[in-house]
Formats: sequence, C-alpha cells, structure tokens
Amino acid sequence: MSENTLKICIGTPCHLMGAADLLESVEELDQSLREKIELKTSHCIDNCCDQAPVAEFNGKVYQDLNPEKLYKIISENIR
Amino acid sequence: MSQNTISEVVKLKRRLYVELLRLVKTRNLAEEISDLSKKIITKDSPRYRCCEFKERAIFEQRIKAVLGFNIADNKEITLKELASSLPRHEKNRNVVEVIDIACDSCPIDKYIVTDACRNCVAHKCVNACPVNAIVIIQNKAYIDQGKCVECGKCAQACSYNAILENQRPCSRACELDAISSDSNRQAKIDRDKCVSCGSCIAACPFGAITEISDLIEVAVNLFAEKSKLAAMLAPSFLGQLGYQQSAAKINYALKKLGFARVIEVAAGAEITAAAEAEELEEKIESNETLLSSCCPAFKSMVENEFKEISDLISKTDSPMSVTAGEMKSEDHELKTVFIGPCIAKKEEALSDQNVDYVLTFEELLSLFTASNINLAQIDREEKLEDAGHLGRQFAYAGGLQKSLEEIIAADFESKQIDGLERLKKELNLIRAGKQSYNFLEGMACTGGCVGGPFSMINQKLSKKLVKRFAKAERFLS
Repeated sequence: MSENTLKICIGTPCHLMGAADLLESVEELDQSLREKIELKTSHCIDNCCDQAPVAEFNGKVYQDLNPEKLYKIISENIR
Repeated sequence: MSQNTISEVVKLKRRLYVELLRLVKTRNLAEEISDLSKKIITKDSPRYRCCEFKERAIFEQRIKAVLGFNIADNKEITLKELASSLPRHEKNRNVVEVIDIACDSCPIDKYIVTDACRNCVAHKCVNACPVNAIVIIQNKAYIDQGKCVECGKCAQACSYNAILENQRPCSRACELDAISSDSNRQAKIDRDKCVSCGSCIAACPFGAITEISDLIEVAVNLFAEKSKLAAMLAPSFLGQLGYQQSAAKINYALKKLGFARVIEVAAGAEITAAAEAEELEEKIESNETLLSSCCPAFKSMVENEFKEISDLISKTDSPMSVTAGEMKSEDHELKTVFIGPCIAKKEEALSDQNVDYVLTFEELLSLFTASNINLAQIDREEKLEDAGHLGRQFAYAGGLQKSLEEIIAADFESKQIDGLERLKKELNLIRAGKQSYNFLEGMACTGGCVGGPFSMINQKLSKKLVKRFAKAERFLS
C-alpha cells in the first residue's frame, strides 16, 4: 500500500486544459518517487472546472496545474 | 514529456473558446462579445504584454479568428458586427493567419554572437566561415548579416559555444520555408508555399499565428439554428477526448450534444483504400509510381513545388471527402463537420462542397465543456461500428500502405515517409527518376495523423489505442 495518494481529474474540462499531460508526467517520474504514489483518477474534483486542470495530493486540492507545478507539489509534499 | 504539453497560450485560447460558446448557448453573442476581452483580461490577470490594453487588442483579433473571419480583411469591423453576421455561408480563404499585433518580431538574424565570445587567439569562427562574414570588432566576433549564408559552421567551430542559432520558432517549425518577414519584421506567410499544416501555429510561443476557426459557426448551427449536423470523427479520434473514453461513449455524448448523426471517417477510408488499390493495380502493371492523396498537406506540397510530377498523385478522394459525400447522399440536409487533429483538412474542405466545417479535437472538447457535458461522468453508450481495420489504421503512418498490401494480391514495392522535409527529399529523387517503386505513402506529420499538430494526447498512446480499436473490427450481424 502506497503512502501517498494522487488523484487526477479526467473530466472533460480538465482534459481540455491538459489532464493528459499530468497523467503522462506521473508515469515519467523517477521510479523511486513513482512507487510511493498510488495514482487514481476522478471524474470531477470539487466542481472547480474553471480552474482546470485539477488534482488532489494527499487530500489537498490543487488547481490550474501543469506538469511542472505538479512535480513541485509531489516532491515537496511526499511522505 | 509529450511534445504537446499545453502552454499558457493554448490555455488562453481554449478558455476563449469556452467563453464564446457559452455566449452562443445563451443567445448573447452579439450583445456581449464587445465586453468579452474586458471580462477575461482584467488589470489583475496575468500580464504577458506591455499593458492590458495591448493584450485586449490582441485578444479581439483572436476572437475574430475564432468567429471564422480572416483577421487582415476585417481589421476595421467591430466584433459586434461580425458576430451579428453569423451564420455566414461563404467559406474562408486563408486558413492560417498571422495576428500582426501579436507577433513579437523576433530577431531575423539566424546566427548571432553572444557575450560568451572571448575574442580568443584561435578565431575558429573566422576560419570556419566560408564567405568571410565574420570580423573582429571591439574585441568580439561580429557577423556581417549581409554576407552570412546561415551555414552554421561558425557555431560548430566556436570553443565557447558563443555563437547561437537564433531562428524564429515559426520558421524553424515550417519545413517548407513558407515564413518570411514583412517590412515590420513580423512573420509573413508565403501563400504559394504554405500547405496549412499548422506547425507554425503550434510553435509560436506568443500565439501570434492562428487558424481561422469554424467553431462558432458550428455552435450557431448546433445551438441556435438547430440545423441537422453530422459529426465525422477522424480515424485518430481514439483517446483524444479523454482518458478511457470509449468510441461508443463518445458516440452517445455527441448525440447528446446535438449532433444528428455520427460517423467514423474510417468508413470513408475503407472506400478510399479500395479505390486507391484499383488505381495502384493499374500503375503496377504499367510500372509507374502512385503518390497517396489522403494527406492534404502532402498533396498540396506536391502540387505547389513538384508540378512536373503532380499527375502521379492518386485521383482517389480522401476519406473525409468520401465520408462527407456519403452523409450528403444519406440526407442532403445534413451539414457535415469533420473533427480531427488537422489544420490542413480545413484547407481541403474549402474546395470540397460536401464538407461544411472542420473542427479540431480541442474545439469539440470546448463544445462539451460549454454545454456542461462531462464525458467522464457519462455511463451510457451507443455502438460506433462503421469501419474495419482497413480504414481505421489510416490514422498512423504506414497504415494506408498496410491496407493496400492487404487488398492487393500481387507483389509490389512501396515506401512510407512521414514529415514534409523528408518527403521533399524523396520527391526530388522521384522527379529525377531515381526511384522505381509503385507506391509512396506521404504523411505531412511525423507519425501520421496521430502526430497531428492539434492532437490532444501523446502520439505513442494514440497509436496504441487506434491499433486496439482497429483490431476490434465491426461485428457484422
């Protein structure tokens, strides 16, 4: 069981704003980082579609993401 | 990271799509369009240009392109006037256009000497230059741009990497050298060379090159005029509309959005493959070469730059054209909308009376978003089984070649090339009579349509999903 949970929204507004890039960037993480994370997808997180793309890491919601921002969030908050 | 990782420029454009579509939906387009740039670009929104006023001025030109109007021809006309004139019934002329006030006039000089130059003793750059364009001025190498032939030898020779290749992103992306600069040093598109492949649009970090869109026109038809529309999905559509979205779910969602009919363009591709195979069999017998016709950018390049051999292009209609023809004969009231990753299809549609509109995947996704349809939350499906693998595999480079090999019993030699620059080299060989195979499959985009400039997902993944879908075939009852 991984200690960290990353949930990426794959709803249409998030896909339009680059959710596929986020998913891809997670698969490209270093093995040492990747194996600590359980990746889930969500149909909608918090209804904040105007701030897409959205993801939730260890229970906290982050908006208006891109692969670089997501990487920073993961590396700063990983347990 | 995929090459298509979306930038702020792309996000801004997609946000604009959604905002405009919401105005169409609520029937407020003409009334509120003049205020849109003020609404989206405020004093506090992120600033990329000198001031919010310039940003808004650029934004308004962008809106014109989304409404479907050529920017240069409609400079003096207000957004409100343009919006009120929709739907229009003529087709646009230029598909790709420069938004001149958005173009930053990047430096034109291809090679420049940076401060890293130490005026060394060896002066390898001076020695390397075949045209003596480099002199030493004020303790630093200086390139006389009047003499420079842009060979790059100086940059390779410098021990400090002090000479920089500094090509404009748009002209670097253009494999046909169709971008030059005007008297204001802004990008200018040479219409005789441009094949509307869309590479420059994707490459410009300022978003200063844009396609002229059919999006709002389609939305007006869909939401206001209640026209009967047919969605024709390009063979590369798998996976483009979201993670784990099946073809059947997309079919259902498109109907929900308001499309009267949905069809795979792969169905037309099967007919194209059969017709092209017949043509090819004749060529094999007479030992001639046939060039594929399904990629409009490749076809245009041959017609523009290789007139002597343009009669080698297959006379067979493209899958889009065949599919649109079928739709019109099924119901002549249907308006046809091709949906794909391609800009060159917009150009092809201009001269095809059966194709009314061409949208990109991002434009379709904006339609869903503005209509509050979240595909991830849809749990209903409607089968989409219009084609088999012979048509579906057109989506990736080599697919058409494979289909023809399957259809034709006789042995023949063929070649497959993707990328305009590589194709250009090959066409030079063909023109010189140095190639003797019977068939050349030419795709402008690297990887074929799955690598199109307006693809939403990674090319490898896209190809995998298309292959899986092609294998599933249709089940004939």
